[in-house]
Amino acid sequence: MSESAQPEAADAARRSVRLPRPGHLPLPFIGGALILGLSVFVAAFPGLFAPYDPLAFDYNAVLQGPSAAHPFGTDNFGRDVLSRVIHAYTIDMQIAIFATIFPFVFGTAVGALVGYAGGIAETIFGRVVDAVITFPFLVLVIAIVSVLGPGLGNMYIAVGLVGWVFYARITAAEVRVQKRLDYADAGRAMGYTHARIIFRHLLPNAITPAIVYWMTDMALAILLGSSLGYLGLGAQPPAAEWGVQIAEAKNFMSTAWWMGVFPGLAIVVTGLGFSLLGDGLAELLRTRR
Amino acid sequence: MSLLRVRDLTATFGAGASRLTAVNRVSFDVAQGEVLGLVGESGSGKSVTLRALLRLLPVGGAVSGRVEWEGRDLVTAGDRELRAVRGRQISMIFQEPMTSLNPVLPVRVQIEENLRAHTGLRGRARTARAKELLDLVGIPDAGRRLDEFPHQFSGGMRQRVMIAIALASEPRLLLADEPTTALDVTIQDQILKLILDLKDQLGMSVVLVTHDLGVVAETCDRMAVMYAGRIVETGSVTDVFARPAHAYTAGLMASVPRASAARSVLHSIEGTPPQLDRVPPGCAFHPRCRFATDICRRDVPALEPRVGERLSACHHADAVAAEGSPV
Amino acid sequence: MPEFIARRLVQLIPTLIFILVVVFVLVRLLPGDPASAVLGDRALDADVERINRELGLDRSIPVQFWVFVKSFLTGDLGNSISLRIPVTQLIADRLPITMLLTLMAAAIALIIAIPLAFVAALRRERLPDTLIRGGFQVGLSMPVFYIGLVLLTVFGANLRWFPVGGYGDTFPEHLYHLFLPAVTLALSLSAILMRNLRAAIIEVLDADYVTFARSKGLRTRLILFRHILRNALISTLALFGLSIGTLLGGAVITETVFAIPGAGRLMVDSIYGRDYPVVQGLTVTLAVVVSITFLLTDLLQAWLDPRVTK
Repeated sequence: MSESAQPEAADAARRSVRLPRPGHLPLPFIGGALILGLSVFVAAFPGLFAPYDPLAFDYNAVLQGPSAAHPFGTDNFGRDVLSRVIHAYTIDMQIAIFATIFPFVFGTAVGALVGYAGGIAETIFGRVVDAVITFPFLVLVIAIVSVLGPGLGNMYIAVGLVGWVFYARITAAEVRVQKRLDYADAGRAMGYTHARIIFRHLLPNAITPAIVYWMTDMALAILLGSSLGYLGLGAQPPAAEWGVQIAEAKNFMSTAWWMGVFPGLAIVVTGLGFSLLGDGLAELLRTRR
Repeated sequence: MSLLRVRDLTATFGAGASRLTAVNRVSFDVAQGEVLGLVGESGSGKSVTLRALLRLLPVGGAVSGRVEWEGRDLVTAGDRELRAVRGRQISMIFQEPMTSLNPVLPVRVQIEENLRAHTGLRGRARTARAKELLDLVGIPDAGRRLDEFPHQFSGGMRQRVMIAIALASEPRLLLADEPTTALDVTIQDQILKLILDLKDQLGMSVVLVTHDLGVVAETCDRMAVMYAGRIVETGSVTDVFARPAHAYTAGLMASVPRASAARSVLHSIEGTPPQLDRVPPGCAFHPRCRFATDICRRDVPALEPRVGERLSACHHADAVAAEGSPV
Repeated sequence: MPEFIARRLVQLIPTLIFILVVVFVLVRLLPGDPASAVLGDRALDADVERINRELGLDRSIPVQFWVFVKSFLTGDLGNSISLRIPVTQLIADRLPITMLLTLMAAAIALIIAIPLAFVAALRRERLPDTLIRGGFQVGLSMPVFYIGLVLLTVFGANLRWFPVGGYGDTFPEHLYHLFLPAVTLALSLSAILMRNLRAAIIEVLDADYVTFARSKGLRTRLILFRHILRNALISTLALFGLSIGTLLGGAVITETVFAIPGAGRLMVDSIYGRDYPVVQGLTVTLAVVVSITFLLTDLLQAWLDPRVTK
């Protein structure tokens, strides 16, 4: 960085993520990172872990309980539940990311602009937020999916149409606070363009709450994705997806508990990973401030 | 005969290695009908001392030592016993009238809950008494204002309401924690005068915590000066003002702007009070003290009679006293 | 106060207009043709035309919007394509069930959250706090539909303490039938409320007015409820209002799991059956219900906190 301007330097100091040594990381952060690191790895290479083909029927091994051959048992078509749970990581982790990446990027950008502009833009945005939050999120998403047709792609569109509002609201509030701090004035005094002040100076400092919310949102996305899968509006059978698996298990709850328990556990553990990481991140970023 | 005897009162926060001592073995007496001023900079432990008397510390605080009141030790008293003293025999008012009244309850409820807890007054009699109390503290149109909420009162009026609540059950001791600091100067005097008037009317004693030596001079009989959690000097207000016997007291006085001595140089004490987690060894004041010698850096001075009968915790009390009053 | 209510009612108008715009845009402008969606790909042109005419899709967009708004204002939500009865009647039949379910869930969530939030806040950073927060962390990640299935299987099918679905005929029967679904729905809300309330209580616990109340020698119970809980609830109330939307969304799933003939179940059935007028009517109705809930929470907040109406 060749510029030696004061605000720039102060800014860089604020922005540089000086990660504490592992021993000083918050415990939730470590736990969450471990769970998610493993989840991502499994999602990327399910073949390395899954003992069977997740879609292969085996009518000689229908509804078998957990055993050495099938640690999580088999379902009503004789498919290996463990292999299906593992392969579902690919879809469900994909849901977590694809359903939230657009809302995160677009929402924080809009939030930064609105928070910086203030005035009428903020008032109009406030009305939009008020109106959007009056629609029950799930109802709106499934209404959109009903127009577009079931499937994951359409679910991403539906979530994207609505989800960005929450990021925008969080970021706008934070930018509004940051805007009043000295270094933003310093940037203006230096004659920087608005875009530069917003995206190089304000946003990097104001993005923390949005990142923390992103973690929660990914957990919510998995819950939403599996809910739609359960309702038959998300991932379509016979694909291996936790919600789809639980839907398949619903008639066998008493007789073959393993069909539902393991996908359910996978959802809980992954969700826990995200919320632990979010909590840990919040703690980490708070102490850094 | 002392009304209240405090011995070795200590207040700590947290536990283990991160434990902080906010008040360190503080001892003092309050006589019947007396006004005692507890003076110090912010962070000196004066407010914590006051709260510790009634065990009103925030979560994580612990109190030890003795607080002798009517033959009981309030530090070891049971909850029920303590409740009977709080608000009934010893009442407290706070610095921020904005935040010390519950914002969502009408004033009537906040007065009457005190009467309900400590008196036999019921129904109409209780309301009449609540109205009488508002009259007593000088709130006009008391009957109507009973049903208003704190945010509908001005700062000074709110402080009057707080005093009315505190005095509802005619306590024998009033603990006042910087009662005028948050108010406008003109209103400060009114409130102080009100407290003194009520003290005489009700025959109370008062412990007044303040950082304002002017207030002490105007209102108090005796004073105790606190620094870094300890009392460093105590004596009658006249004596202390005439001839301070602790370097810190002398420094405080030199830093008070005086209307009488126009354009005189204002000496502030250099440096800042120590943080609770790094109180210097020896006399805590030594890094800021121009009298400091080796003994000050080594030994904690005891609070004992050093200049006449005056209690001082300064190794060089004589030298300080010899300089006389800086004002 | 009346002035405040009036002001809030006026504010409701732009929100309602926006709701109508959103639903209108969703139905008309998103890709996908309602008529062929209803009839399938091999529909005859004449049939497509008939459906389009029935839905008013053959007219210009502004006219369509005007007709759309007018019909909503007159309470006409069109007819269900599959059931051939007015959507308004359908919703009038089904919505009360969902409302009752939602109310029960909200009540159960509060009953769970308040005491636990107190315990966690008063035993902050100690074992009870850690256990409660850990438990709720897990609760938040649990999928509603799986909780529902488990409760249904254990307490319904196996233990037979509760019915395995349906709604019953009398009001006590309704409550009995809706108990398990309401618990299902309440769990994640209670986790959110607990977390918020715990933080609010901790903040209030050391507030000056609480210390002042303690200095008056009041009973602990009085301090906890009158001075602490009431103030802590005010900040949680907004979240509670917002959560009603989430509950209504959750009702879609719960009602499906427990086979309850409510509005949520109707929504899912209508989506399967491509019954556009019903989906559209329900979406608007639920949004209106939510905005009325917001209004009610605002009023409740104003009642609890005299500073709001100032």
